[in-house]
Amino acid sequence: MEIVVCAKPVPEAESRLRANSAGSAFDPEGVKFVLAGYDESAVEQALLLKQEAVGSKVHVVALGPPSRTDEVLRASLALGCDSATAVEGGVPPLDDPVGTARGLAEAISSLSAHDLILFGKQAGDDEEGLVGGATAEALGIPFVGFVVDLHYDAGASRLRFGRSVEKGQETWESPLPLAVGLQQAWNDPRTATLPAILRSRKAPIARRAAGAAAASSPRSLSARFALPPPRQGAKMIEFKSPQEAAEKLVRLLREEAKVFP
Amino acid sequence: MSETVLVVGEPDGSALAEATLEAVGVARKLAGPDGAVVGFVGGSDGASRAAAFAGAGVGRVLLAGDPKFDRAPPATLARPAAAAAEAVGAAAIVLGGTTFGRDLAGSLAVAFGATAANGVIDVERIPEGWRVRRAVFGGRATEERHLEGGKVVVSVRPHAFPAATGPAVPLASEPAPAKEVPGALVAPARTAVAATAQGSGPSLADAAIVVSGGRGVRAPENFRLIDELAASLGAAVGASRAVTDAGWKPASMQVGQTGRTVSPQLYIAVGISGAIQHLIGMVSSRVIVAVNNDPTAPIFRVADYGIAADLFEIVPVLTAEIRRVRGK
Amino acid sequence: MVDFSLSPDAESLRDLARKFARTEMAPHAAECDRSSRFPEEIYRKAHALGLMNLNVPAEYGGSGLGLFDQCLIVEELAYGCGGMATTVIAHCLALEPILLGGTPEQKQRILTPFCASYQLASFCLTEPGTGSDAGAVRTRARRDGDGYVLDGEKAFISNAPHASLYTVFATVDPALRHRGVTAFVVPRSAEGVTPGKDEEKMGHRASATSTVHFEKVRVPATDRLLAEGDGFSLAMRTLDHTRTTIGALATGIGQAALDHAARYALKRETFGKPIAEHQAIQIKLANMAQEIRAARLLTWYAAWTIDRGEKGSLESAVAKCFASDAALHAADEAIQTFGGYGYMKEYPVEKLLRDAKLTQIYEGANEIQRTIIARELLRGYT
Repeated sequence: MEIVVCAKPVPEAESRLRANSAGSAFDPEGVKFVLAGYDESAVEQALLLKQEAVGSKVHVVALGPPSRTDEVLRASLALGCDSATAVEGGVPPLDDPVGTARGLAEAISSLSAHDLILFGKQAGDDEEGLVGGATAEALGIPFVGFVVDLHYDAGASRLRFGRSVEKGQETWESPLPLAVGLQQAWNDPRTATLPAILRSRKAPIARRAAGAAAASSPRSLSARFALPPPRQGAKMIEFKSPQEAAEKLVRLLREEAKVFP
Repeated sequence: MSETVLVVGEPDGSALAEATLEAVGVARKLAGPDGAVVGFVGGSDGASRAAAFAGAGVGRVLLAGDPKFDRAPPATLARPAAAAAEAVGAAAIVLGGTTFGRDLAGSLAVAFGATAANGVIDVERIPEGWRVRRAVFGGRATEERHLEGGKVVVSVRPHAFPAATGPAVPLASEPAPAKEVPGALVAPARTAVAATAQGSGPSLADAAIVVSGGRGVRAPENFRLIDELAASLGAAVGASRAVTDAGWKPASMQVGQTGRTVSPQLYIAVGISGAIQHLIGMVSSRVIVAVNNDPTAPIFRVADYGIAADLFEIVPVLTAEIRRVRGK
Repeated sequence: MVDFSLSPDAESLRDLARKFARTEMAPHAAECDRSSRFPEEIYRKAHALGLMNLNVPAEYGGSGLGLFDQCLIVEELAYGCGGMATTVIAHCLALEPILLGGTPEQKQRILTPFCASYQLASFCLTEPGTGSDAGAVRTRARRDGDGYVLDGEKAFISNAPHASLYTVFATVDPALRHRGVTAFVVPRSAEGVTPGKDEEKMGHRASATSTVHFEKVRVPATDRLLAEGDGFSLAMRTLDHTRTTIGALATGIGQAALDHAARYALKRETFGKPIAEHQAIQIKLANMAQEIRAARLLTWYAAWTIDRGEKGSLESAVAKCFASDAALHAADEAIQTFGGYGYMKEYPVEKLLRDAKLTQIYEGANEIQRTIIARELLRGYT
């Protein structure tokens, strides 16, 4: 099986969240971008499948500026991925989901083969979860998200997996090719060994530009980034009876807080 | 503003998911007083879902009635839904931001030639396109995005908008434009569904609403009050460390520094005093409500709304009021 | 041109060690300290990740790191637990004489199988009667045919109860003093090798320390490093090399002390405000921060000097001596910052003082370090 994993460089978990001076976007100054969260699980899942389906290869792709993509790609190579491609996200902003998807799709279609494409369910920063489905559509491949427990049945040439939904868990099967948004790998992510880390720092990374489709895609632009204002203390509801308190609270939640129970 | 907005319906049994009705409310606002909201349903049993649209005030519904969509991935509906939007002249497609909607949104954006945003908590039309607001970084910050170009796909965060309730209108359903969907896209098949082992509530990690009980509940059998309030809201149930340490609830339900961190739309803390260890687990919730006998309890410092009263008097009445308002 | 920033390569090594220390070592540090438990499962994981054989070249199956990179790793490990870090550096210390004095044949034959699986080594120089005066070792190596017979007792040997390999310094003739000292590599499996029981220590309790008895142990000449009489200078060159890593270990302990103290000072309130806003605490934190920064930079400088091929005796002695004193001061002030809580075993800072103390004693007591510094220094004025 030829497996492709798409990994997004995201700010390290402990990063301080700050808006830029215009208040229009997250300020990346001094922030370290790493492989993390659901994307880290996707790399782990790809490597587990590689063990399960002997002879498989894992290719990892990341889109963005080299200072960010290279860290993520080297970390993935150190974990055991076989090869890597860095797609230079030429169209600002770099967090435009559909533009990113088109850039990834073009890079993936230029690979010799892609049977299974793994995405993390959503990125730790923007949490959009759009890129997997969009990339799959651009490639003409089916897409299933919220996947858990992904296995390959080589005898039947089918993937078998679960899908975690609001009501519970669905069971699925699919032939190849398939694109998957992974919620959870069947093991905790492994740690790269020191020799593998040293080797990965010298490994080659293929490079390509994001391409025309990404550049001409209609855009999603960050206009404002804000931390919530510090809380001032509760608005205490005045009431003469429990019924009045309940009615007032529900009304405030609907009309003022705009959280609709 | 006068626009046509398409809403993609999510099946829930033979009805529409509540998230779809929330999407209808948003679509109505985007369409403007002179605009139109059109429904779209894929798969068999479209008639009852179309009826549900009409009951919520959406009379025109396009049906892509092919049974091959029933067990196929939600993303499979991307091309038919995009074709339906083109056919009715819709510039915007709105869906509920559930697992169904989120899976479909990305594919739909590419099929429709649009840009997209998932899980928005606010959306409005602007000259450049649309402006949306979303929670990011696990709820620790919010962003506003401008979605440019003439077309957009937006999924709305569950429980962030009111469900459209009508008034009902006559249904005028029609077949959606026939759109060829390659066999490869319908090849993945759902073979089974199993309901969550732990009751019917959502998991703490993903829930849009969480109701937590603390030491003020006094005894394990009283937790029933918390469970009923949660059920009335479709919420997940959490607990403070005092409760899990006492063995009233399993450790997996503990919200706090050494338990789980949650950032739902709405967090209701019942009988919880607000020790720092608990606050760390829930303080990034969008809206916090606290019910506690003690008006000086620290929880009221971080809550948005507070009711200083006996929870045994307030909670059952609140549960009943919520049920009444939701029509259950 | 000087550059104090870490290369991306160095950062990734440091990050690996940091992650291991904080997720695998630190959670068990208190428990191992309390029960004096040797956490073999943690050392096995360290070996699997390439965090054990730091100084052994890759061609023999080690991680092949220069001294600077080793120091980055050791500081992070010590931040997690001083005792567990000592197991690692004592292990590397035992292998260093083989790297410095072994023939290619010896290195290949001894190191390759050793590094391939989880095994520990011990550096056996100190004896009950001789520590700082290394030239006065009394363990005898008598020539016998084409080999030697070893007799004697070593003391305070790290890893000894668990080691499969011992690098032993014995004398072929006590009358020759340091000119008789000779180095040997002895497997645990050799008949007559008996490690003692694990000593009850003040700190570094996750590290195992014991005597090792050698009774009529046969060692072939092919397991002798260099020639007879070369052992003392081999031991000194080894310690020149490894002294710097103690500087890194002490820096890690000191940094942990500073981090605990600063975080506590921001939370604990007295007289209406966090104690971090009181001058008395600010001065403590400032002193700790200065000394730990200096310790780290002195360690880096010594490592950089030795990696360039220089002897580095002066710089490594400065680093070891300063950093170990800094760690002790920092741990002491951290306990004071915590007040009564600092005295309780439930809180992590009293362990740091017990762990810091050893860094002033082992691998060359600080008194010896100061005489080395003076001697090397004065050379520059003559």
